[in-house]
Amino acid sequence: MDNVQLVIATLFLTVAGMVINSLLPSGIRATASFIFILINAVLTSIPALDALGGHPLDVVFQGTPFLGNVPFRMDALSAWFVLIVNFTCINGGLYGIGYMKAYREQKSNLALHWSMFLLFQSSMLWVCMLQHGLAFLIAWELMSLSSLLLVMFEHQKRETLKAGINYMVQMHVGVVLLTAAFIWVYVSKGSFDFSAIGSFFKENKNVWLFLLFFGGFGIKAGFIPLHSWLPHAHPAAPSHVSGVMSGVIVKMGIYGILRLALMLEDNWLAIGASLLVLSVATGLYGILNAAMRRDFKMMLAYCTIENIGIIGAGIGLFLIGKGTDNPTLSTIGLTAALLHTLNHSLYKSLLFFSVGSVYQQTHTRNMEKLGGLIRKMPQTAFFFLMGALAIGGLPPLNGFVSEFLLYSGFVEGTKTDNFYISTLMMLSLAGLAVIGGISLLAFTKSFGVIFLGSPRQPLAHVPAEVPLEMRLPQYLIVAVMLAIGLFPQYFLNWVVHLEGLAVHAPDMVAVTFLDSTMANIGRYSLIFLVLLLPVFFLRNMNMVSRPSEIITTWGCGYVAPNNRMQYTGKSFSKTLGKLLGFLVGEKKNYKEIAPEEIFPKERAYVSHYTDFFENSLIEKLTKPLLNGMNYFQFIQNGRVQYYVLYGVVFMLLLFLGTLFKWI
Amino acid sequence: MISLAMILLASLFFSGIVLRTKSLVSGRKGPGFLQPLKDVLRLLRKGTVFSETTSFIFQIASSIYFVSVLMAIMIVPFGLSKGLISFDGDFVFFAYVLALGKFFSIISAMDTGSSFEGMGASREALYSMLAEPAFFVLMGSFAMLTGHTSFHCIFTALHFSSHVSYALGVLATFVLIMVAMIENSRMPIDDPKTHLELTMVHEVMILDNSGFGLGLFTYAVNLKFAMYGAIIANFFIGDVPWYFAVLVFMAVQVLFAVIVGLLESFTARFRMAHNATFIFTLTSASLLIFFGVLLLMGKFI
Repeated sequence: MDNVQLVIATLFLTVAGMVINSLLPSGIRATASFIFILINAVLTSIPALDALGGHPLDVVFQGTPFLGNVPFRMDALSAWFVLIVNFTCINGGLYGIGYMKAYREQKSNLALHWSMFLLFQSSMLWVCMLQHGLAFLIAWELMSLSSLLLVMFEHQKRETLKAGINYMVQMHVGVVLLTAAFIWVYVSKGSFDFSAIGSFFKENKNVWLFLLFFGGFGIKAGFIPLHSWLPHAHPAAPSHVSGVMSGVIVKMGIYGILRLALMLEDNWLAIGASLLVLSVATGLYGILNAAMRRDFKMMLAYCTIENIGIIGAGIGLFLIGKGTDNPTLSTIGLTAALLHTLNHSLYKSLLFFSVGSVYQQTHTRNMEKLGGLIRKMPQTAFFFLMGALAIGGLPPLNGFVSEFLLYSGFVEGTKTDNFYISTLMMLSLAGLAVIGGISLLAFTKSFGVIFLGSPRQPLAHVPAEVPLEMRLPQYLIVAVMLAIGLFPQYFLNWVVHLEGLAVHAPDMVAVTFLDSTMANIGRYSLIFLVLLLPVFFLRNMNMVSRPSEIITTWGCGYVAPNNRMQYTGKSFSKTLGKLLGFLVGEKKNYKEIAPEEIFPKERAYVSHYTDFFENSLIEKLTKPLLNGMNYFQFIQNGRVQYYVLYGVVFMLLLFLGTLFKWI
Repeated sequence: MISLAMILLASLFFSGIVLRTKSLVSGRKGPGFLQPLKDVLRLLRKGTVFSETTSFIFQIASSIYFVSVLMAIMIVPFGLSKGLISFDGDFVFFAYVLALGKFFSIISAMDTGSSFEGMGASREALYSMLAEPAFFVLMGSFAMLTGHTSFHCIFTALHFSSHVSYALGVLATFVLIMVAMIENSRMPIDDPKTHLELTMVHEVMILDNSGFGLGLFTYAVNLKFAMYGAIIANFFIGDVPWYFAVLVFMAVQVLFAVIVGLLESFTARFRMAHNATFIFTLTSASLLIFFGVLLLMGKFI
């Protein structure tokens, strides 16, 4: 079979999988779905690998009904994202088998869930490959809707329902923008083919169309202020879904932006600089909020926003590099963006899987109720620790590699003669350093509060380590992460090679100096680990030969310490929250003790942090909109007679219209 | 290699000089120069007391912290000779390897489940986060000035450019001294001599460490001081013969130690709430360096 047939086979396999899934006995449904996911992944990865090898797929489906000629391309950029989607979906599916066992009574709900998971994977793959505006939008919509149903698995919960509706509405705002953008291109060029966008850019001003597309893709990716669906949808979804959503669905937005950015013909500097500013702001805002939240899945969702900012900064550097005729800068920027896309998909799914295991065992997402889980779930704690180190960009893991590239990019960018660009680069450098610092705070906090210390509250039942099928994908991810962290030069070479294919050759320079630098990073990270051995060995030798004893934690002389007196996550990040109180508003709900209240009664104190943009921007917009809509409520009044009347009026209009040739 | 040896040598007596300065200023005779070193050696030979709440994180943290500082030291060059590790962008690696050590020291404090140690951990995380941009803007500015991104190349190129770079060096020295004080939790951010756990930063974090682990943490402070001293010295060691360079290096280290001692004798610790503002001000000092560099390169329009 050639590659085209392979890809078309996935189309049928997905439909077949969805049908078969609903017919199978519920016990083997998850496994069957996983097999379909695996087959689809293999079938699409083969052409993807071919494309990376320099043989892109480029076919046009002639004369399809309604859409006309649909171009279908797998170039290097698509291939990169297809591979990332496949790897994450395989891990998500495998983890999901174990994770969903807890819900095995909800048979029909599970059947829908797994069918949607299949559709979800395929639609993401098609989004990467279809290059016809309308077909793309159909795949895009399928992706949004299937993920919506995945998010709303626990639909009986009110907050899940709310998060789902929020997600659906925001995704459709994005679709409207994308549709408008594609129609604009169609009106001006007469084609829905993506290549028409390129020729549109050649003749018209680039900024406005890019902005329209950026609005659509940016909502998916989660750039501020378009991010507000993320922190609601991710916690509501089952963990394997959040892992895949956070790992790859937001990357589809990045894919769209990258696709557009590669086609730009003009205004590189303006677009690049604005994108860089927005991205650094997104990164700072995301990680700052992540540091404040006590719902650990919401914390990870905000952290996704931060990482989108980092990826966006890479794309911004790429565009600035093109605008200032600095091919080294554009290569570094694009490499950082693409590599960070891969890295983030790895450690974010790892983190979501590990906290998913915690949620499954403890049934709470509130980290303040946890503590000391490292004793009960040591392997899960290890996964979370690895993810936390990687996301903080610390060596010897993979996050460091892409952040390092970004730092080199910023330093390279200061070399321009343009005063403004130099300053922008230096401020972005400082911004990235602050992002790194806050993420250290956020993740020491969450790891410390969830896994270390002693349990803050008695749990309903004793947590235990999760089964092997849930740990296996996490080991796999850790292995890949370590491989990237310790041997970054090979991955760098792949990405640079990919760029050579995606961007037409003269734009890219061979960044040979990066190659040796990357090799050095890997080598020295390895040396770090090796150096650790003798020190630790010495310590252990010492430990064996000297007396050691185990007693309670030093309580500074206090003799009756208890678990509730441990430092909480809230207090850990409180100082930072107060410092930046204008961005992270804290809402408190309590009653002061009145002077005449001599024996105060028991009272409650509630405090939580709110999202600045959601509260002060989006709600300000939606509230009047909702109020305005109230005036039209009489139309939807629930009386059948009126609805029949609407039908009659509509038909009458149609009749008159055709009679008098209005239409 | 020579830089590693020199820094290790400087770290042996650094704390001793600080202590001696403080005691002389306060009118005491004070302990010998090698007393802090002897204290560390004594700790290394002692047995250990563990908290029952701790896990393996606590066991590995001290080693990781120590090795991270050691690794960072290997990156620092000595005059015109490279450090053991030197590559383009090594200053990023330097900062992140230190951050790795810090990550583990923070979570090891959380591992004890003590509210005091959590408090110290939270402060340490916040302060090092605030100091981060100052260091990066500083190094970024010099990278921009010299067109190189490794410590060794930056320092080498710095001395072959104009003499104005020495003026920038002085400003950089100020920033680096302050960064060193913050990183080591000394005055005016934190007082290591305080006896109230509520007001400590670094000392309270390692409250439950004892024996070998505490020895590693304590010696790492000396190493870190000597490391920052070495970076400062590099601003002033130019293209000179090695014996002269050694002299300058040692002079800078001693001077640095004396300054630390004087700072600790004559300043009072800031209120906790003011620390954050103060630390962030360092970033503006770094930005001054950046604008100085822009001026030097004639980029101001």
